[in-house]
Amino acid sequence: MSDGQFEVFAVGGDVGRDLAAVPWGTTPLGPPQDWPQSLRTAVSIMLSSRFAMWIAYGPDLTFFCNDAYRRDTLGSKYPWALGRPAHEVWAEIWHDIGPRIRTVLSTGEATWDEGLLLFLERSGYREESYHTFSYSPLHDDAGTVTGMLCVVSEDTERVIGGRRMATLRDLGSDPSVVRTEQQMLTFSAEQLGRNLKDLPFTLTYLFDGDDARLAASTGIPAGHALAPAVLTAGAKGTWPADALARQESVLVTLDDADGPPTGDWDEPPTQALVTPLLQQGGTPYGFMVAALNRFRALDDAYRGFVELAAGHVAAGIAGARSYAAQQRRAEDLAELDRAKTTFFSNISHEFRTPLTLIMGPVQDLLDRPDTSPELREELDVVHRNGLRMGRLVTTLLDFSRIEAGRMQAHYEPVDLAAATAELASVFRGAVERAGLHLTVDCPPMDRPVDIDRGMWEKVILNLLSNALKFTFTGGLTVTVRPGPDAAVVTVADTGIGIAAAEMPRLFERFHRIESARSRSNEGSGIGLALVKELVELHDGVITASSTEGVGTVFTIRMPFSSGTSSTDTSVISNAAQPFVQEALRWLPGDVVDETPLVDGVVARVLIADDNADMRDYLVRLLRSEGHRVEAVVDGQAALDAARADVPDLIISDVMMPRLDGLRLAAALRADPRTASVPVLLLSARAGQEASIEGLQAGADDYLVKPFSSAELLARVQTNVALSRLRTHHARWRTALIDSLQEAFFVCAEDGTVIEINSTFTDILGYGPEGLPYPPVHPWWPDPDTDPAGYQKVADALALLVDQPRGDYTIPVTHRDGHTLWVAATFSQVTDPGTGTKAIVGTFRDVTAEHYAVQRESALAAVAVRLSQAESTTGALHTVLPVLQELWQATHVYAAVFDGSPTPVLSTTDTLQRWDTLPAARRQALSTARDQPVLTPIADQPGGAGITLEHPDGAMVLWIELAENRPFTEHDQTLLALLAGHLNQSLHRLRQIDQQRETALALQRAILGPAQLPDGFAVRYAPATQPLKVGGDWYDTVALPDERIGLVVGDCVGHGLQAATVMGQLRSACRALLLQNTDPAQTLTALDSFAAQIPGAMCATVFCGVLDPVTGELAYSTAGHPPAVVALVDGTTDLLDEGRGRPLGVRGDVSRPEARYTMPPRATLLLYTDGLVERRRQSLNAGIDRVAATIQRGRATALEELASDVMDRMAPTAGYEDDVALLLYRQPGPLALEFTADADRLAPVRSALRGWLKQAGVDRHTAQNVLVAAGEACANAIEHGHRHGAAGLIRLHAFATGDDLRLTVIDSGSWKTPQPEINAHRGRGLQLMRALMHEVTVTTSTAGTVVGLQARILP
Amino acid sequence: MNAALTFATSRRPSGDILLSAVGEIDMSNAATLAAALADAHRDASGGPVTLDLTGVEYIDSAGLAVLYPHVATLRLVATDLLAPVLTVAGLDDLTTIAD
Repeated sequence: MSDGQFEVFAVGGDVGRDLAAVPWGTTPLGPPQDWPQSLRTAVSIMLSSRFAMWIAYGPDLTFFCNDAYRRDTLGSKYPWALGRPAHEVWAEIWHDIGPRIRTVLSTGEATWDEGLLLFLERSGYREESYHTFSYSPLHDDAGTVTGMLCVVSEDTERVIGGRRMATLRDLGSDPSVVRTEQQMLTFSAEQLGRNLKDLPFTLTYLFDGDDARLAASTGIPAGHALAPAVLTAGAKGTWPADALARQESVLVTLDDADGPPTGDWDEPPTQALVTPLLQQGGTPYGFMVAALNRFRALDDAYRGFVELAAGHVAAGIAGARSYAAQQRRAEDLAELDRAKTTFFSNISHEFRTPLTLIMGPVQDLLDRPDTSPELREELDVVHRNGLRMGRLVTTLLDFSRIEAGRMQAHYEPVDLAAATAELASVFRGAVERAGLHLTVDCPPMDRPVDIDRGMWEKVILNLLSNALKFTFTGGLTVTVRPGPDAAVVTVADTGIGIAAAEMPRLFERFHRIESARSRSNEGSGIGLALVKELVELHDGVITASSTEGVGTVFTIRMPFSSGTSSTDTSVISNAAQPFVQEALRWLPGDVVDETPLVDGVVARVLIADDNADMRDYLVRLLRSEGHRVEAVVDGQAALDAARADVPDLIISDVMMPRLDGLRLAAALRADPRTASVPVLLLSARAGQEASIEGLQAGADDYLVKPFSSAELLARVQTNVALSRLRTHHARWRTALIDSLQEAFFVCAEDGTVIEINSTFTDILGYGPEGLPYPPVHPWWPDPDTDPAGYQKVADALALLVDQPRGDYTIPVTHRDGHTLWVAATFSQVTDPGTGTKAIVGTFRDVTAEHYAVQRESALAAVAVRLSQAESTTGALHTVLPVLQELWQATHVYAAVFDGSPTPVLSTTDTLQRWDTLPAARRQALSTARDQPVLTPIADQPGGAGITLEHPDGAMVLWIELAENRPFTEHDQTLLALLAGHLNQSLHRLRQIDQQRETALALQRAILGPAQLPDGFAVRYAPATQPLKVGGDWYDTVALPDERIGLVVGDCVGHGLQAATVMGQLRSACRALLLQNTDPAQTLTALDSFAAQIPGAMCATVFCGVLDPVTGELAYSTAGHPPAVVALVDGTTDLLDEGRGRPLGVRGDVSRPEARYTMPPRATLLLYTDGLVERRRQSLNAGIDRVAATIQRGRATALEELASDVMDRMAPTAGYEDDVALLLYRQPGPLALEFTADADRLAPVRSALRGWLKQAGVDRHTAQNVLVAAGEACANAIEHGHRHGAAGLIRLHAFATGDDLRLTVIDSGSWKTPQPEINAHRGRGLQLMRALMHEVTVTTSTAGTVVGLQARILP
Repeated sequence: MNAALTFATSRRPSGDILLSAVGEIDMSNAATLAAALADAHRDASGGPVTLDLTGVEYIDSAGLAVLYPHVATLRLVATDLLAPVLTVAGLDDLTTIAD
């Protein structure tokens, strides 16, 4: 380089050497020594710049460039391009750039292009690339424009990255979570079709059996040769469908002959990437063919983009299919419900045949004259109940017919008055027997009404039976009157009436009006609803009005027929009989149709005697009198029998085993249910005392053996009659209670159940024979397996005995062991006779409702938790505790078998890992994974499980239950439901996970490959996790004049939206700085730019330009907090001048600029307000804190200091806003690299001397450093020389506030340390140690590193 | 390129040889110092030689090594800038620090 003519290239490194090698004499420019000074200067500036530049100069616009341009843009054209005419170098884009260059040359004005698309041929193909560049004129020494300088930054990566990100973002932006597969594919295709640059065309094939079917396409017309609708398996097709089963992408070369669509380009793609649509744990769903942009190489980023896009589509398919499967399951459940209804209808229907076969023979038997009265009595019971059952079956069938719209009506015109009167008269007997009067006021009408006789019958009979049920005085009135266009039928009663609040629900199905008093509690609550449905089938209208305590009137309006009345008015069918029979059953006396006995009284008599002959005699005797007799052998048996079915009279011997007659009498009296049963004691003991003893024990009468049959019969007759009188109400009550459809019970004060009805037994399986039932009642849940249930019942009992009234819902165990839920209401009553307190209550079986509610609330709880989860892992962590709580499980486990050696375990037991699980549990989980999906496994005690399709593989969910706790069918249904929900959410969340990963990959592209100059340290912490970018940014820009642009900015908001704005502002600010190299002008220009970007307004920016040599910093701020400078003397400067408003907030004044000179070793901090801003604290307090932190760390190396600042300033809960910070210390570090040649020592020393001066080091210290470093370098040179060719030596120096640190590294290839050859080398080390505060020498096979540290005295 | 170093030799009124060096002394040019010193000693023919280093901004161990053979007859004059190095090298007793 001593050749003077090439001095101009001296600073250019490799490019300089190659420029020197150009045969300049053959170019119009001639040899470099003849070049005008202006060209030499321009070339020299260009070569020394680290920013990409090229020059075109002279008549041929001869091409020069620097190293950065060579690296970034020129590619394979180097070094061929040097010295060539620019139009040859850039022949392929000359039509783009030629006119611009001519403009510069002709006008002398600079050009500016941002993100211009240019097709370069620098890598062996035409390449799509984007460039932001400025052409500025170069003048010759005479001032004429003879060339131009281009400053360029290549934006290819940013533009293409942004484009791909937009596509992936759009793919992920589908607002609806669930949709059909086709909708999902259409949506995806719309998004893919908007990027015809990266995806000139796409084809999505889905496997359908062995074939593949075209499901979606973009950029390609239907029926195109490359887009066959079906790819048949095995056939050699256009696309390698078979190969994709291997789950790998395949690169396919496209044949021009097929005419591939060109997308947004003017030439067809040459390759397509065929990517499988992967299914977790299965063969791919299909594959996506993505034609590739021929102007971009298929690098990792491009391949990644295509695979992410395919991943989106695959995830969409997974979601859609999972949703469809979910839907199918829901439909299956609904189908099951329908099937149930049908089943019950059918069952009801099936009852009719057996009923007929029962009723027919019963009727025959009743009609036979030889039927004995006893048999007749039994047959009557069968007959009545047969009728009742038949009526229930018919009603049920009617209802299901109406519901299904299958009610077969045969309408005919009828005189409604006559028909109604006749129906009403059927009820006359029953009404009058009830002590009421029935008024039927139905004068004939001249216009008929179309009715279905069967239906009308049901309407009137239902209304009448309803009226009778609730009427106790007065009577019933039925009227029919003609109205203007309808017949008006009323059924009125003088009953108890209906509360106003209940009126709106009167006709509601299954709604039973609670009333204070009625003749019966029978009824399903569908009678009036059925009436309404039937009336409406006739186009009629039914209304009701009622006054409590006065009565109720039902009014029906039936439209007149257009036809004439049929002659047959008889509507009475067999259907009427059940209504009447049933109504009669409500009436007191229970004597309907019973054959009167000889003496008018028939009784059920219980006989207790241990003497068989006496038993037989008594039985015969009483039966002969028509009584129904049961005989038992002792008092205990009698007591049990009486409790199970209270008789009319008990005749008992006094002397009996187990329980004698006296104790039996006492026991019967002690039990409220049997207290009123008359007891007739038979005793062999005569005498006054004996009879008194018997009567004291509670016996009603006393008969001494022997006794005459007539005497016994008379006593029986008398006692029964007396008892009937006494117990009239008690019997009525018993009848009422037994007819209740709700379970009924009476408890003593301590909660002992002393009376129950038949429904009680039906529901719980415990009958009256077991009475009394003291607490703990046998139906309580097992305290071991269901402690929570047990506690619930215990609480309910406490409520029951303490409170005057209340209600509760508890789990109970049926005698056969199954669990059911009952809802009970109770109230305390006081026996007016004895004053003792008792509790009466009713309950009904609410098991179905309970589980429905439980299911709904569990689903809701799980849905809420899942909607808040952000990842599949998070979903499991949040849902498992819900399941644990729901089933009171000891623990819940979820093991995902993702193919790795150890399944991934999530559990509520935070201490457990897969490895620490008991082997048996691991085994259970592993076995369950092979079970069918979403099918509960509950065949093992102590737990239940279910298998799900986690996106990573099969997942087994295991509920570990307390010992012996059963997992019922209800539990299994619920588990399947919840697991299905979870399954779907996991897939949805996985889709979100994937979108997030996509976003992250692209965010890194936005942040860009910021190559920090030496001497800077930066930190970046976005507020919105897991984003890697936010609205804040930092930037350093190497300016052409060796100065450095420094930018820290903060866009409004954070998250992805702000990051997008940030990316644009950052690029713009960079470009503007390069153009202006003036902070104030840059910000002014950025104002205009910000006005055009939505969301960029009010961003704050600190923009500075630093001369690292002098420490001079020009800066301007747009609403940004002041930069902080920590000086070595312990003081702090705030750079709070040059202030202006935030970006885009326009003012008339131009932005001010301030200047500051960084003193040596001062530390500069630029930051965004997220670093210092705290709630309820002034910004100044934060700035003071960060200034103090920097000041304390002025002697710390920059990287370490940056970490310290982030740590110390962080609030305990982490940063709430984005944080960007940038640190610089004046001067920047010195980095020299030179060959191991003693001649290099002087220039190195000179450079080091200059740097030490910048670092403000006093001359003595500087001298010490120079000598020590010189010795280290000399040492290194000797190493380097010892093995032939000279190696390279690197010297690196940086300053902190309080010291200087230098390293000298030789990369010499010497292998083993050798003894010093020259004695004075030893002195060199001695000198270093004497002059420096710390010297370290580290030797390795790679070379030697000498570290020097010198403290600087303040 | 070698570090810049020039010499001037004169005889003091006392007859001593005065060798004045100007520049920097390191391993690249220590040999020229050695040669100049040898010449000076030859001229002094065993008499004392004064080496004036006040014009020298830098001297390292390579330069110092050249001085050691002549310690018996050598006197040094230097600025305070070189004082620490010369002290460490054990040559301070031969040295006069010029203002």
